[in-house]
Amino acid sequence: MSKLILTVDDSASMRMLLKASLAAQGFRVEAADDGEHGLERMHEVKPDLLITDINMPKMDGFELIEAVRQVPEFRGTPILVLSTEFSDEKKTRAREAGATGWITKPFEAAKLGAAVRRVCP
Amino acid sequence: MSDELDEIQGIFFEECTEGLAVAEAGLSAMAAGDVSAETIAGVFRAVHSIKGGSGAFGHAALLAFSHRFENVLDEVRAGRIVASPEVTQTMLGAFDILSDHVAAAQGGTEPPADAAMLEQLDSILESKGAVAAAPQVETAPEPAAQLDDFGFTPLAATIDDFDPFGFEPVAVVLDDLTSPEPAEPAGWTIRFGPSRGALGNGGEPMLVIRELEEMGASVTDVDLETLPGLRDLDPEDSYFVWTLRVPGTVAEQDIRDCFDFVDPASLVDIARQETVVAIVEEPAADEFDGFGLFEPLPIVSEAPSDAVLTLVPVAAEAAQVPAAAATPASAAPVLAAVPTPAPKAETRQGSVEVAQSIRVDLSKLDQLLNLVGELVIRGSILSDRLSPADQERVELPELSRLTRQIQDNVMSLRAQPIKQAFSRVPRMLRDLSAETGKKVVLETIGEMTEVDKGVIEKIGDPLTHMIRNAVDHGIESAEERLAAGKPEEGTIHLSAEQKGARIIVRVRDDGRGINRERVRAKAIERGIISADAALSDEEIDGLICAPGFSTAETISNISGRGVGMDVVRSNVEALGGRLEINSVPGEGTTFTMALPLTLAILDGMIVRLGDQRFVLPLANVVETVQPEPGQVQATSPSSEVIELRGQYLPVRRVGEMFGMRSERAPEDSLVIIVESETAGNVGLMVDTIDNRREVVIKSLEDNLHPIRGLGGATILGDGSIALILDIDALVATGGSSKYALKGMAA
Repeated sequence: MSKLILTVDDSASMRMLLKASLAAQGFRVEAADDGEHGLERMHEVKPDLLITDINMPKMDGFELIEAVRQVPEFRGTPILVLSTEFSDEKKTRAREAGATGWITKPFEAAKLGAAVRRVCP
Repeated sequence: MSDELDEIQGIFFEECTEGLAVAEAGLSAMAAGDVSAETIAGVFRAVHSIKGGSGAFGHAALLAFSHRFENVLDEVRAGRIVASPEVTQTMLGAFDILSDHVAAAQGGTEPPADAAMLEQLDSILESKGAVAAAPQVETAPEPAAQLDDFGFTPLAATIDDFDPFGFEPVAVVLDDLTSPEPAEPAGWTIRFGPSRGALGNGGEPMLVIRELEEMGASVTDVDLETLPGLRDLDPEDSYFVWTLRVPGTVAEQDIRDCFDFVDPASLVDIARQETVVAIVEEPAADEFDGFGLFEPLPIVSEAPSDAVLTLVPVAAEAAQVPAAAATPASAAPVLAAVPTPAPKAETRQGSVEVAQSIRVDLSKLDQLLNLVGELVIRGSILSDRLSPADQERVELPELSRLTRQIQDNVMSLRAQPIKQAFSRVPRMLRDLSAETGKKVVLETIGEMTEVDKGVIEKIGDPLTHMIRNAVDHGIESAEERLAAGKPEEGTIHLSAEQKGARIIVRVRDDGRGINRERVRAKAIERGIISADAALSDEEIDGLICAPGFSTAETISNISGRGVGMDVVRSNVEALGGRLEINSVPGEGTTFTMALPLTLAILDGMIVRLGDQRFVLPLANVVETVQPEPGQVQATSPSSEVIELRGQYLPVRRVGEMFGMRSERAPEDSLVIIVESETAGNVGLMVDTIDNRREVVIKSLEDNLHPIRGLGGATILGDGSIALILDIDALVATGGSSKYALKGMAA
């Protein structure tokens, strides 16, 4: 069974782009449009990997990661944060929240795939 | 994909329109004096989303402008720049240009002139809020070209970025690249010690090692020095330092890429065998992959002297590695050999060249094995004749132990690497490739696993058929594979490993998987199952082994030679083995043969039926149940089920299957739950259990016709003969429709 990835992004085009890129590389993809839904979907689909945007309404990516790491079941689930840039501050926040790694937007499909496979073969 | 991209891009522009409306409303509110965090965050998010998407769809000018606009918004949001009326006014101006940029990107027209506005935005950044009266060309803080290309922090900055984390730069040892490349590149020696806490937050060093192994690396050493005692061990911590060897043919950058996601506090040494020079890794900007891995916990500063973390160049150690040992898996041109994971067997192979050997006629070994079998039987007889107190005496267990040792030794004399059976596969695949035009690569694992010679002789045919089946039905044509996003070449993995008392032989293909719809339809057509049968995926897969089943729409030259998978299954079962099929649609099929290590001796459960005793192979036994009254229920005059933890399993009265009448009520009997290949878990009703014994299998077929349900006979300790039950055949013989039962239980 191919790996299941949950993507959380408030932008529909970004969700579709992620889905198209990841699906083309053999992953199964579920999506949510903000942190709150992301957390709900985590419990529903129990993905092998979470990819989340940071800037989102309601619950942002940092809060989502923190909430996910609170759940014992998801303590070991790899999490990649997706953002257009990673300042020192942002990386520190993401790391402290519990992220496994980061990917910058825009991404090339191949590099996205490489990044994903690094944490979720 | 391009249609899909166009569609997604259309959605992106809709989002831009929405985002612009949100930004405009927010900026207007700010101009009217509402500078709440919420309003500012709304504007920021709108511009941020436009920027994110513009990069993804390649609108460089829009990306560059929104990036600079966002920088200012970010500072305003963080409170480092006050949203003064002047700043807000500038941002409203920037908003207008952003709208023009979006329109230009959507319409494919020239982007608007934005240089003056960019300078204003930059000057706000520079002066932290003071809007420049006149644009100053030299205040641009970053070269514009860089932003146009990337729109995110280039790599040169990443090492600095890590500093606040308390990271140390990764010290990397590698060869002097200015020295001329040797004709045969020496292998790489890699030392990898994940930092403490590297296992937190979803980090997994084994993935790195696996990735390296896929390039042909092998782990040569694991340093356990820092492994603490059990009391102090934190299972979420990493204590190991692995040493790996990678063939010299692998490019350094490919190795280094594997470590992209490894947090920089980890020990990563990559060295050629010879001269090594320590340098600090400083990758160039164009190597930036746009992703990285976080270190989960700031442990580094707390434990600076930890041995795992200390960055020690391994020059001396690397230099000692013999060059010849550097490339354990040099790739064969067509058939890539994967190093066997059975180091014990490899050692054996290595010593064969120096060990003295003697050729022995196989029949002599067989005689010896028979004699050992007799010895086991006499031991049982002796044991039975002794009083329980005498049975406990030291001599008897000692005798059993010695007998067992002799038996193991004789078995090892007969053991041969399974390579003998695997060796004809590459040739066969080449022929099949030529016949079908499909490209197939073979990967073999564990070919040095030792198996009884009898097993090797008998698995040849099933193996051949499974591989033919995989190539013919499993692997798709090159075009079909490419269309499905798979590599053009199909791969067949052939592996062998020992698991307990069984040898597991697997044939795995990465083809299209079993077409369950078609299998089901065919099985109904052939009358193998009823049209309304409720079958699990596994059961449907199992149907391809049903006698008389063939799904090939056209009888092909390759696997359609009148030999079906049912023959494979019966061959495997004749060896006392089991055949399992696992198939994932679109991903491939795995055939797993679980074969007994030995064909001659088995662990059995002696059960009693009336005055007869039977032997049940212990390997099939799942559990034993003493039924409560009512737990066994009749579903028809000829079939019964047992309710077990909410599930219904069919029950067979073993005695009746062999024509013996028993008046015992179920609650006076025992139900032994056995697992069978043919019908899943089934309960066998017997009177009592005698004991557990190692029994020597004596074939009945030399003297009697094969009897379905019986796998042979053995001599028990008291000299009497007990028949050995062949579970899979027995439960399949029952005749009652297991599928109907399934349907009822569901």
